[in-house]
Amino acid sequence: MTATIPTRRSTEEQASAIPSWRRVLGSEVAARVTFYVTAFLLWVALAAAFERVPGPLSVVDSLVTEFSRGEVFSNFADTFYRFTIGVALSVIVGVVVGIVMGLSGLARAFFESPVLVGLSIPAIIWAFLTVMWFGFGDASPIVTTFLTAVPFVIVNVAQGVQGVSRDLRDMSSSYGVPLGRRVRDLVLPAVSGYVLAGVRFAVIIGWNGVLLAEWFGGSGGAGFRARYWYDANQFAGFAAWVILFVVVIVVLDQLVFERMARRAFRWRDAAHS
Amino acid sequence: MAVLTVNDLCKTFGAGTARSNRVLDHISFDVRGQTFVSIVGPSGCGKSTLLNIISGVETHTSGAISVTSDDGRPARLGYVFQDPRLLPWRTVRKNMMYVQDKDDEVTRGRVDRYLDMVGLGKHGDFWPGQLSGGMQQRVGIARAFAVEPDLLIMDEPFSHLDAITARGLRAQLQDIWAQSKKTVVFVTHDVVEAVELSDRIIVLQPGGRIYEDITIDLPRPRRQSDPAVATLQAEVLARLEKMKAMTPQVAASV
Ligand SMILES: Nc1ncnc2c1ncn2[C@@H]1O[C@H](COP(=O)(O)OP(=O)(O)OP(=O)(O)O)[C@@H](O)[C@H]1O
Ligand SMILES: [Mg+2]
Repeated sequence: MTATIPTRRSTEEQASAIPSWRRVLGSEVAARVTFYVTAFLLWVALAAAFERVPGPLSVVDSLVTEFSRGEVFSNFADTFYRFTIGVALSVIVGVVVGIVMGLSGLARAFFESPVLVGLSIPAIIWAFLTVMWFGFGDASPIVTTFLTAVPFVIVNVAQGVQGVSRDLRDMSSSYGVPLGRRVRDLVLPAVSGYVLAGVRFAVIIGWNGVLLAEWFGGSGGAGFRARYWYDANQFAGFAAWVILFVVVIVVLDQLVFERMARRAFRWRDAAHS
Repeated sequence: MAVLTVNDLCKTFGAGTARSNRVLDHISFDVRGQTFVSIVGPSGCGKSTLLNIISGVETHTSGAISVTSDDGRPARLGYVFQDPRLLPWRTVRKNMMYVQDKDDEVTRGRVDRYLDMVGLGKHGDFWPGQLSGGMQQRVGIARAFAVEPDLLIMDEPFSHLDAITARGLRAQLQDIWAQSKKTVVFVTHDVVEAVELSDRIIVLQPGGRIYEDITIDLPRPRRQSDPAVATLQAEVLARLEKMKAMTPQVAASV
């Protein structure tokens, strides 16, 4: 039997062979744009078919009104303040507990069950509980964000730490590298991908948490404002806020996390270009 | 320089289980002062395991082992592994600095000097992934030299390099060893290399016993072309052939 190896083209040849319009159409950007266009058309169709689905025009109208009244910025300022504190706490606590869990079997045995419990409790339960505990203020959205996000960070980081190469750990201990440097130069870079994935989860799930807590708490914020329109039976206003929620997450993910990931993995990209 | 004492050392992987595997069997030897010892033996006879126990990254099952510097301080150890073992997310220079005690001018100068020595002076800011396998191995060698250890242990450091690079580094190793008063434990399965470099060759046989402890009493520097070197190489090879003939296991594993 003879295997044939197809003739392959060099990267330079490939680049010149494909016409530019086909390169644009076949690009990842084109795939993204296609999604947004399809989603928009679907929305228009649904709004035309059902009375209780507000159409794009009325939603844009509500958005403009909310912006002009200053509601958007003041409420998001509140929400972001709570969200940022909650996520930051969950990342700090999550990375520390995750590293300890990854390094020590005892710590793993101790934390395994509470983390599992934490993973299985939905944000809405924490939102109810914290409003009961802390009443209407900043504490309940902050604590809800923290409690929903922290188990995800812990699980990811612990997994990353357990995966740190045994060979590199042996190398470090044979040279007597001090613990602090080992954590900084070996453990953290090795787990940075996992930390990043954990923080990304924390942000998305924490965003759920903060909005839910605001929905049930009575102290302002984006979640509270969405509920205001919902209670008033104004679906266009409600939908306007839902859109804002989504936009925030997408922007955060693309602007912050894409960049962080690219920086954390420079060494890998450099080795393949 | 260091004092290395190995006394009645045994290592069994998975002791007490069905997969129990005796790798080192009552090994005793000691090395002191400016001595260059090679450990040779067929693949799988426990050479890397022995180095890992000496360096403290592997536990031993019974017996005793101690490594001290010859003035009684804890010995500084340099270890060239069988594979490069570099941090992939740190540049070459940062990999070298990672195992250094201090981060000062003197240390940085020393690191650059040893990088130069292995021919990688221009590659300090590269990531390991951008270097070839042999270049990475040379970084591993430079890293061990640059800590200026009392005891330098090397696990087949030159076996992945081309003949000419390997010969150059072997010559530099001899120079460094002669100048800097180190104790070296060097693993290889290349007998020719062992005779060229060593004061003493410890031959391990499969099952991890010491088969022979040969003293190489030749003047230095040694040259391949020197007939005395060639004669001794042939003689040591012949002894290894005899060991192979005596232990049928070896024939299968070499
Ligand atoms: N971590 C481990 N767990 C169980 N067995 C091991 C472990 N490390 C090594 N061994 C076993 O110990 C034996 C000796 O391995 P070692 O790596 O010391 O051989 P070596 O002499 O260095 O061989 P080579 O020349 O091929 O590098 C082998 O049979 C191997 O299967
Ligand atoms: Mg080996």
